[in-house]
Amino acid sequence: MNTTHYLVAGASHAGLEAVHRIRLVDETSPITLVTRDAHAPYSPTILPYVVSGQSAPERVVLRPADYFLQHNVTLISDNELVSIDETGKQVTLKSGDRWQYAKLLLATGADPIIPPIPGLSETPYHVLRTMQHAIDLRDHAGKVKRAVVLGAGLIGMHGAENLRHAGLDVTIVEMCDQVLPGYFDARAAAVIEHAFNANGIRMLMGSRVVRVEPLGDGCRITLENGDSLEADLLLVATGVKPQLDYLKGTSVQVDQGILVDRRMRTDAPHIWAAGDVAQAADFYGEEKVMMGILPDAVTQGAVAAMDMTEDHALKPYIGGVPINTYTFFGQQAISVGQSLADASLEELTRVDEDHGRYLKILLKENRLQGISSINQEMDAGIMWQLILRKVDLTPVKDAFIARPLETGRALMSSTWR
Amino acid sequence: MTAYNTIAFDPSRCELCNDCDACITACAQVKSGSDDPLYSRIKIVAGFNGNPPELALCRQCGDPECVKSCPSTALTKNPDTGLIDWEKSLCVDCLLCTVGCSYGGITYNATLKHVAKCDLCDGDPACVKACPSGALSYITSAGIFNEQHEREDLFVPGLSACQGCNSEMIMRHSLRKVGPDTVLATPPGCIPGMGSVGFNGTTGTKVPVFHPLLTNTASMLAGLKKQYNRMGRNVTAMALAGDGGAGDVGFQSLSGAAERNDQILFICVDNEGYMNTGMQASGSTSYGSWTTTTPVGSEMKGKRTSQKNLAMIMMNHNCEYVATASTAFVEDYYEKLDKALAASERGFAYLHIYSPCPTGWRFPSSQTIEVCRKGVETNFAPLWEYERGGDLHFTHPIDNPLPVEAYLNLSGKYRHVNAEQLACIQQQVNERVRTLKRYAGQ
Amino acid sequence: MATPALKLKHPGCAQSIVCDGNEAAAWAVALARPDVVAVYPITPQSSLVEYVSQFIADGKIEAELMNVEGEHSVLSALHGAALAGGRTYTATCGPGLAFMFEPYWRTPGMRLPIVASLVTRDGITPQCVWGGQQDAMTMKETGWIQIYCETVQEVLDTTVMAYRIAEHHDVMLPVNICHDGNYLSYGVTQVEVPEQSAVDDYLGEKNINWHVALDPLRPMAVDPLTGGAGGPGPAKFVAYRKGLCQGMQNALGVIEQAHADWAEIFGRDYAPLVEEYRLDDADYALVTIGSMTGAAKDAVDSARERGQKVGLIKIKTFRPFPVAAMTRALKKVRAVGVVDRSVHYGWDCGPLYQEVLSCLYRAGQPIAAGSFIGGLAGADLTEGHFARAIERTAQLLAGDEFDSPVWLNEHD
Ligand SMILES: Cc1cc2nc3c(=O)[nH]c(=O)nc-3n(C[C@H](O)[C@H](O)[C@H](O)COP(=O)(O)OP(=O)(O)OC[C@H]3O[C@@H](n4cnc5c(N)ncnc54)[C@H](O)[C@@H]3O)c2cc1C
Ligand code: SF4
Ligand code: SF4
Repeated sequence: MNTTHYLVAGASHAGLEAVHRIRLVDETSPITLVTRDAHAPYSPTILPYVVSGQSAPERVVLRPADYFLQHNVTLISDNELVSIDETGKQVTLKSGDRWQYAKLLLATGADPIIPPIPGLSETPYHVLRTMQHAIDLRDHAGKVKRAVVLGAGLIGMHGAENLRHAGLDVTIVEMCDQVLPGYFDARAAAVIEHAFNANGIRMLMGSRVVRVEPLGDGCRITLENGDSLEADLLLVATGVKPQLDYLKGTSVQVDQGILVDRRMRTDAPHIWAAGDVAQAADFYGEEKVMMGILPDAVTQGAVAAMDMTEDHALKPYIGGVPINTYTFFGQQAISVGQSLADASLEELTRVDEDHGRYLKILLKENRLQGISSINQEMDAGIMWQLILRKVDLTPVKDAFIARPLETGRALMSSTWR
Repeated sequence: MTAYNTIAFDPSRCELCNDCDACITACAQVKSGSDDPLYSRIKIVAGFNGNPPELALCRQCGDPECVKSCPSTALTKNPDTGLIDWEKSLCVDCLLCTVGCSYGGITYNATLKHVAKCDLCDGDPACVKACPSGALSYITSAGIFNEQHEREDLFVPGLSACQGCNSEMIMRHSLRKVGPDTVLATPPGCIPGMGSVGFNGTTGTKVPVFHPLLTNTASMLAGLKKQYNRMGRNVTAMALAGDGGAGDVGFQSLSGAAERNDQILFICVDNEGYMNTGMQASGSTSYGSWTTTTPVGSEMKGKRTSQKNLAMIMMNHNCEYVATASTAFVEDYYEKLDKALAASERGFAYLHIYSPCPTGWRFPSSQTIEVCRKGVETNFAPLWEYERGGDLHFTHPIDNPLPVEAYLNLSGKYRHVNAEQLACIQQQVNERVRTLKRYAGQ
Repeated sequence: MATPALKLKHPGCAQSIVCDGNEAAAWAVALARPDVVAVYPITPQSSLVEYVSQFIADGKIEAELMNVEGEHSVLSALHGAALAGGRTYTATCGPGLAFMFEPYWRTPGMRLPIVASLVTRDGITPQCVWGGQQDAMTMKETGWIQIYCETVQEVLDTTVMAYRIAEHHDVMLPVNICHDGNYLSYGVTQVEVPEQSAVDDYLGEKNINWHVALDPLRPMAVDPLTGGAGGPGPAKFVAYRKGLCQGMQNALGVIEQAHADWAEIFGRDYAPLVEEYRLDDADYALVTIGSMTGAAKDAVDSARERGQKVGLIKIKTFRPFPVAAMTRALKKVRAVGVVDRSVHYGWDCGPLYQEVLSCLYRAGQPIAAGSFIGGLAGADLTEGHFARAIERTAQLLAGDEFDSPVWLNEHD
C-alpha cells in the first residue's frame, strides 16, 4: 500500500493548477498525480494544431519533468484510477497498485461521446481528445484526401479547419442549424460558417447522419435526406462526456458530471472534483452545469486546491460563464457570457458589414451579461471580470456601449491600484 | 519569491488629457517601427467623470492567469527577469490568454495578427523614456528586495500590525539588513505592540530585543554599547522607536545620546502621533491633523500647533549621520540605511522615516505607499541627509512640488481642513523647505 | 584630595586616608572595579561623582564614564550596560532620584545588580538641598535593597560589600547604599582603604547577566509584555513577583554572610541587619537609623551614667526589613522610642516607627512605642535631642502618654 496526502487524478489544466495551488501553501505534504496518458502533460486544446502540424507534440509540454521533481510531486503516467474505497480512503489503479490518500481530487476531464449511429462501431473513425488521437489523425490525414467531420462544436470546428490547413477536402456535418451553438448567436455563427465555406469547407448544417459504413480504406456516410458522402477519414466530434466508471460503489453524486458545490467538494468526504469532469454552479441560474472550457478548468482546479489546503484566501466559485475565443481562418470570434437575448435583457448590436465586424452587448439592469464580437478588438478577460463582479455600468453606460474596449480597460485598471 | 523591476504609473501626472500619447507612440515605434497606436503594447485610457487616466499594460503577474490559460506553452514566466515571455513559434493564436488577463495586458493585435504584450524593452522601457511628465517610471528596486530576501528575516512571522501599515516592512527590512549581531530596543508603540517584543515568555524577534521605557531608549542603548565596546565585541545597538518615544517624552535621552555621539543606530518611525494607544496627538502631529486629542468640533479644528521637525533638530546635534526617508522611495532608504549603519560604528546615526498610518490617518490600507509618495512629492516630507561636518543634501529634490492638497486629500485626518488652514500648511511646507535649503547651502 | 596617612590598623588594608563620606564611596567604587559608571551631579552627591570622574580621569578607576543628561538616563544607561554584562555604579539623591524613578522601579524586576549610592536628601517641597532620608524612604517599596550607613568608614566598606550582595546568584537585585547628606557626605574622618587584591578576592568573579542578557550570542526578549487576565499571563506575572520577593528574603542571609566575611578579612565588624547597643539589660531603647546613631549612642551612654536602663537598636538593613533580627532586639525591652529622619505621611509618624510597630504586632509584644522625627533638611540631631527622646521613652515605660510624633527640631 502506497500512501500520499493529496492524490490528484488527471494531469491537465484542472489537475495541474490544483498541484500548483497546493504547493503555494503546503510545501511538504506528499502529492501524487495520476494520469491516464502516457505523454507528458499537454492541453487538449492544442490538439487541432498538432493535427495540422503547426504544433509539435514535444513542444507543447505544460510541465517539464523536473517541475515534478522540484515540487516533490510523484507523477504516475500511463495508469488510471479504476475504483475508490471512500471509507478506507484508498484508490485502486489500473496497474493494481493501491494508494491511501487523505484528500482526493478528481480532474479526469471528459471523453468523446460516440453517438449511436448505426454502423459506426464497425467503421474506422477518429476522435480528438488525447495526444495519441491527434498523432493518429495527423498521420492518417497526411496520407488521404477527403475528410468528414461530425459535429460543429469547438472540437469539430477546430479539427475541420486544421485538417483543411493540412490540405484535405473537408466536410462538416452538423445536426443543428448553426455552428458553435451556445457560444454565438445565429448571426455570428453565419459569419463563421461563411468563412468556412469561403475556405473550401463544405458545411452541411441541419443534417443528421443515419448510417455509416466502411468503404475501402475509408467510409460512406448516409444522411437523413438520403444524400451520402464518401470519406477517407472520419472525425467524430459530437460532444464530450466524463467517463465515471471508477465512481461505482461510492457516494459521489453524479448527473452529467460529478456534482460539486462552490468549493468543488463532491458529496463524498475528502473527495473533490474540478474541470471538465465536474458539474458545478452556473453563474446565471440555479442548475449546475458542465462548462467544458479551459479557463474554467483552471479556476475550478484552483478553488478545489484552496479548499483542500484550507487556504483562507479561498473565494468560493462564482459560477460558470461560457467563454469562447475562437479564431478561424485569421478572423476572431469572441464570446463571453450569454449570447442569446431574452426579454429580461437589454440588447445592443452593432454590425459593420463592410469590415465584417459585429458586436453584441447584453445588459441586465446595467450590468454586463454577455458580449460577443467578430473581428473586433476585445479583452475577453476584462469582460469576464465585469460579468463576474457584476460591475454596475450605470455611470459609464454610454461610454461602455460606444467603446467597450477602452471603458472596460479603464474600469479594470481602476480596480487594480 | 523573487522581486522584479517594473513600470509604475502615476495617473495624476499623466497628461493624456492634453492628448499626449508619447508613450504609446514610442512603444509602437520601437516594437513595430510605426507611429500607429494600434501597435503599442501600452495603452492609456481616459478615466471616468474627470478621474485620472487608467492604464492597460501587462503587470507581469506573479501568478499569471494568461500563462495558465495558454494551451501551447507560448507564454511562460521568466524566472530571471520576471517577464511573461511570449514565444511566437509556439503560439497558435487561440486568444485564450486574453481570457486569463483581467487588465488588457495581452491583446490581439489585428495588424500583427498575433497577440502582443509588453516585454519591458529588455530593462530599458521606451515608454518611460518618452513620458514627459514623470507619470511613468521604471522601478528598479527589485534588486534590493532580492538581496534582502537572501538575508534572514529576524522577526518572527505573524506580527499583527494593522492592514496596510508600513512599519512592519520597515522593521523587517531594516533588521534583515542590519543583521543578527544586533541588540534591538523598541519602546512602547506600534512596533512592540504588534508583538515584536514578545508576550508572556515568548519573543517576537530573533535578535535580543528589549522593550525599554518610552523615555529611555537611547540612553539604555548607549550604556549597552559602552559595555560591548569595553568587551571588544562588535554589536550594533539599534532602536526602532515611534515619534513619541523619540521626539516627545523620549527626546531628552535621544538628545543626550546624539550630543555624546553614542554609537547607536536610531530609527524613528514617525506616524505623527500615539497610534498604538488610539491616535492621540504627539509633538510630531502636523498642524490641522485630526487626532483623538486634537479633535474636530465647533471650537477646535484639529491640531492647533505645528509639528516639530525632529530630523532637523537631530541634525543640529551635529551627530554622525541624520537622514529622512520614505517607504515610497526604498532605494533611497536603503542607501541611507547603509550609511547610517556605517555611521553608527563611529557615532550617533538617526533615520527619520515618514510612516503614514492607515488606521489613524484614515486612508484605505492600499494607499500607504501612495500617501508616502505624495508626502515627498508635495515637499511635505522632503528627503535629505546630513553627514557630520558636511552640508545637508537633498536626496530626491522636488523642483516642482505638487500643491500640498495632493497629499492632504489622501488622508481623512485632514478632511475638515479649511482654506485658511490649508494656506497655513502650504506656508509651513514652503518655510521648512526654505530652511532646509539654507542648510543645503542653496 | 585627602593626604594618605601612614599608620594602618588592619590586615588587608593598603592605606589610611582622611576623607569625607563622598570620597570614601568613590574609593569603594575604585575597589569594586565597575565597567560602566554614569553620572549626573546633584547636591549633596556632587562631590562624589566628581571624585569618581577624577579617579577615572587619573586611571585609578578603569571604567567607562558616561556623562549623561539627567538621572533618568543615568540609570537607563546602566540598564543597558548591566544587560550587556557590565558591573555598574552611580549615585544620586532627592529630586534626582525622583527623576530617575521610572527606570528605578523597573530595575529590581529585571533583577539587575546595579549599585547606587543614595546620598540622602530631604524631599522637596519646601525647596531644600540638605540631608534627610525622605528621598530614600519614599522609594522603600520599589524592590531595591536599602542599607543605611553610620560612619564614613562604613560607607566605604558597605559600598564594596554591596556588589557582593547585589550580584549574589540568590539575590540579583539592585542595592542602594544610603549615606546621609551633609553628615556623612561632607563629614571628614580617617578611614582605612582596603587592599585591592583582598577586595578582588572578596568580590570574586563577576557574572552580571547570566540570568537576563541583551546579547546576540544568547538572543532573548528581555522583559516582554507579561500578565493580563488570560493564558499563561497571571501565573507568569506571579512567578516574577514572587521571585523578586524571594530574592529580597534571600538577601538577608547574604548580607549577613557578606559582613561576616568582611570582618574576617578586613577586621571591621558591623552588625549587618540590626545592631544592639547596651541592650541586654535595658528596660527600654531608642531605635535609630543612619548617621544619627553616633549622637544617640552618646546620649544612651550619658543616660546610663545617670542610671537609666536604656539601650539602642540601630537598623542598618532597612530593605529587606530584618523582621527576625528586629524582633529579637525588641524582645529585650518594654518600651521603644523610634527616631526617624523622614516622615510617613499616611500614619503621621516616622516610617521606621511604623515598621517597628509591625514587628511588635507580629511578635505579639504590645509594648509602648513612640515616634520621634528629627534631622529633617539638614537639621542637627545632637545628644541633647536624643536625651529628650530617651526621657520621653522612659515616660512611656512608666505608662505616660504623649502626643506622637515628637518633632525633635520643632523648637530649635
Ligand atoms: C480539440 C479541443 C479543442 C478545444 N478548444 C478549446 C478552446 O478553444 N477553448 C477552451 O476554453 N477549451 C477548449 N477545449 C476544452 C479544454 O481543453 C478542456 O476544457 C480542458 O482541457 C479541461 O481540462 P481538465 O483538466 O478538466 O480535463 P482534461 O484536459 O480532459 O484532462 C483530463 C486528464 O485526466 C486524465 N484522466 C482521464 N481519466 C483518468 C483516470 N481514470 N485516471 C487518471 N487520469 C485520468 C487524462 O489523461 C488527462 O490528463 C478544447 C478541447 C479539445 C479536445
Ligand atoms: S498578460 Fe495579464 S495575466 Fe498575463 S502577466 Fe500580464 S497582466 Fe498578468
Ligand atoms: S494566443 Fe498564443 S499566447 Fe495566447 S493563449 Fe493562445 S497560444 Fe498562448
